[in-house]
Amino acid sequence: MVEFTVRRALRAVLTIWIAVTVTFFLLRLLPGDPTLLVVEGDMTPEMQQALRVQYGLDKPMLTQYWLYLTELVQGNFGTSFRQLQPVTEIIVSRVPWTLMLAGSAFVLTILLGIPLGVYAAAHRGRRLDRIVQMFGITGHALFVPSIAILLLVVAGSWLGWFPIGGAIDPDTRGLAAYLSLFHHLALPLISLVIVQLGPYALTLRTNMLEVLGEDYVKSARGRGLSTRRTLWKHALRNAILPALTLMGLQLGTLVGGAVLTETVFAYPGVGRLIFEAVGQLDYPLLQGAFIMLAITVVVANLITDVVGMLLNPRIRT
Amino acid sequence: MNRGKRWSAAVVGLVATVVLASCALNEGNGEPGASGGAGATTLRIGTTTDVANFNPLQSLSKTDNWILNAMYPHLLRIDGNARKVPELAQKYEYQDGGKKAVFTLRDDFVWSDGKPVTSADVKYSAEMIMKHELGNVAAKLGMVESIDTPDDTTVTFDLERPYAPFAEGVGFWMAIVPKHVFEKAGDVSKFANDSEWVGAGAYILQSATPGQRYVMKRNDQYPYAPKGGAAVETVEYRVYPDVNTMQLALRNGDIDLMGTPVPASAVASFSGDQKIKLQEVGSLGFAHITYNVSNKHLAKQKVRQALSMVVDTQSIIETVLQGEAEPMVGPISPIFDEYDNTGLKPYPFDPAGARKLLEEAGYADENGDGKLDGLNLEMVCDQSNPNLTRVAQVVREDAAKAGVELTASCVERNTFLSRTKSGDYDIDVSQWAVFDNPMDQLRSTYLSSNPGGINYNLVKDDKLDDLIDAAAGTTEHEQLVTRVTEIDAYVHDQALLTPLYVEKIRFAYDGSKFTGFQPSPSDLLGMVTGFSLSQVKPVT
Repeated sequence: MVEFTVRRALRAVLTIWIAVTVTFFLLRLLPGDPTLLVVEGDMTPEMQQALRVQYGLDKPMLTQYWLYLTELVQGNFGTSFRQLQPVTEIIVSRVPWTLMLAGSAFVLTILLGIPLGVYAAAHRGRRLDRIVQMFGITGHALFVPSIAILLLVVAGSWLGWFPIGGAIDPDTRGLAAYLSLFHHLALPLISLVIVQLGPYALTLRTNMLEVLGEDYVKSARGRGLSTRRTLWKHALRNAILPALTLMGLQLGTLVGGAVLTETVFAYPGVGRLIFEAVGQLDYPLLQGAFIMLAITVVVANLITDVVGMLLNPRIRT
Repeated sequence: MNRGKRWSAAVVGLVATVVLASCALNEGNGEPGASGGAGATTLRIGTTTDVANFNPLQSLSKTDNWILNAMYPHLLRIDGNARKVPELAQKYEYQDGGKKAVFTLRDDFVWSDGKPVTSADVKYSAEMIMKHELGNVAAKLGMVESIDTPDDTTVTFDLERPYAPFAEGVGFWMAIVPKHVFEKAGDVSKFANDSEWVGAGAYILQSATPGQRYVMKRNDQYPYAPKGGAAVETVEYRVYPDVNTMQLALRNGDIDLMGTPVPASAVASFSGDQKIKLQEVGSLGFAHITYNVSNKHLAKQKVRQALSMVVDTQSIIETVLQGEAEPMVGPISPIFDEYDNTGLKPYPFDPAGARKLLEEAGYADENGDGKLDGLNLEMVCDQSNPNLTRVAQVVREDAAKAGVELTASCVERNTFLSRTKSGDYDIDVSQWAVFDNPMDQLRSTYLSSNPGGINYNLVKDDKLDDLIDAAAGTTEHEQLVTRVTEIDAYVHDQALLTPLYVEKIRFAYDGSKFTGFQPSPSDLLGMVTGFSLSQVKPVT
């Protein structure tokens, strides 16, 4: 087990290095020049050159890459072009919001998706099963900002049940602050869960149907085990593995969805930071944010692998 | 999983969420005194982005400027008619044939830490900008040879040559910072200035919670506030990156004013709301089609004039802009009524006449395919501006009627900026955001030495250079206006650009709660200059 975990961890480090490298060069291959976005008009070539020197963009790209890597391994993500502050500080201030939003959506999707998938498989052809199938297919086609705007208009503006954007009512303190925080979290969370839940439940349903046809499940039933115990104890344990892997992979999609969700709901997470930094071509900030997201996804997948291995010892080999 | 494990997992999940929530709450929320609190008059303004840079000597985005302009005084401010009026400076004059610009300061501006604002602060601010070439003000200070401060309320800029718009440009754009605070920071080009703010404007930043809000408190010593002080004690900016969400927030009463203009498509949606008021302001920018004269076809005046004749401005305003714009003829926005050359006649929309003009210029359709041979040009535009993308399509179709083959390349904004800046285009369909001074505008856009880096025409015309130089050195106002209108007429005749329209700009606010805004043109500062905010009153 130790060897398995070490091997996976080394692979994770390699993945992160590739992500760092690809991000570094992709950003610099983007059309546009960050110095042009600092001052539009009234910028002499001398001023532009001074900015290029200040940003370190006057050096050859490979030199920039080497300098960036050497700083990165020492934990220095650089200084934001526009905010003149260390990238780490800027990102760390936003990470809790994104983790709370994406993490809650991740957990809620699993908590709702498992019973939905299991129930749909156990009651194949019934109304709920048909709903899960329909929801699973349409979920792939839903566009997060459209759902977000719809929820804002209906649940926020028309019904007045939820606040219009933001993360917290600034005048609240103590318990009221926590309640306000969860009140503001609700709509962005629902948006993300709506998009994720259908496909997840559908995948689990398909796996469950496959597993329910296996001999060991029939044998369990034949031995007189209750349907409930057969479903939850024996079938689900095997059916959940592919669904677990899917969730690991979908974490990237979830974080991507958070960029759009945070923008529409004015939610102060890393996603919105990326949205603003893209417009300003703030390379250090974008690199830092992408690396942080890459680390999150890689670590989540590492955990998924390890959990999968614990659930199914055959994976260890 | 047994029941015990499930409960453990649930508890771990709950604890993780609460811990994350606590981390998030520690990022500036729940700070005592961070908000106006009960009973205080708080004006909540929607902004679209976070403050990227708190150092006003650096280049600032528009939204940074909304907040910092209220905190740091400027020598001059802009009024509703785009005129520069006194702020920190009570007056200015040119001496020595225009080679000295002398500002006389008020003596009642005080920094929020109690120290007076003096000429030393002005000198320091200008010298730091010049030394580190900071922002667009550095270009405006480029002709300064030295700065003297004979006393606490007098600042003299010695210029290498007379330049008429110098005082207005520097006076309006240059933020004055407290020398005693900024010089302690060392290299101001790297100074983030992101806490413990000291200002002398109408409102001083108290707390910043990135991604959420920026809270400013009234400066009781701001000299332009009404007697008894500004009625609004706290100004709170709330960040809404999506303008649709910001509109919903205004309707719901979460904010009181949209700092960003209302999109033309959303104007009608506010008309049924009794409490929302729309304030129309003038615009300092305009949409235009600019021709790159380094192109062998566009180097010909007749080709440029012919292209101007295939642009149906009136139809574009009615269809693309749904009437939410005004036409313009010359290169100067009509808001500068003094400089507006009303004698200019617009090029008529006449594709047949345009084709005739092109044939006179030597173009012919030898193969009879309806297109003038060899006259293929590319129009670039910024695809993030849907209006201009549609304008490019309309112009392309109308140009085809005159036998001109235009290709519309509407590209991502950064690519667009990069291409126009490097001259990698034939025709540029775009929007000037802000020109606050006609003389400065003409010099920046048409002088061959390209002092502002925005001579996108790449025009090198000796006569135009002479006209601009003569006007720029004229400090006598009447004469300056005459010379500017001469340049206006020359540029129009040369058809260096085809002006399209000036978009109507409207700001939305909750009129049932607040009144008394003193708007300025465009969304550069719009409704939120420090002066404007200090005049706002709650509706009683």
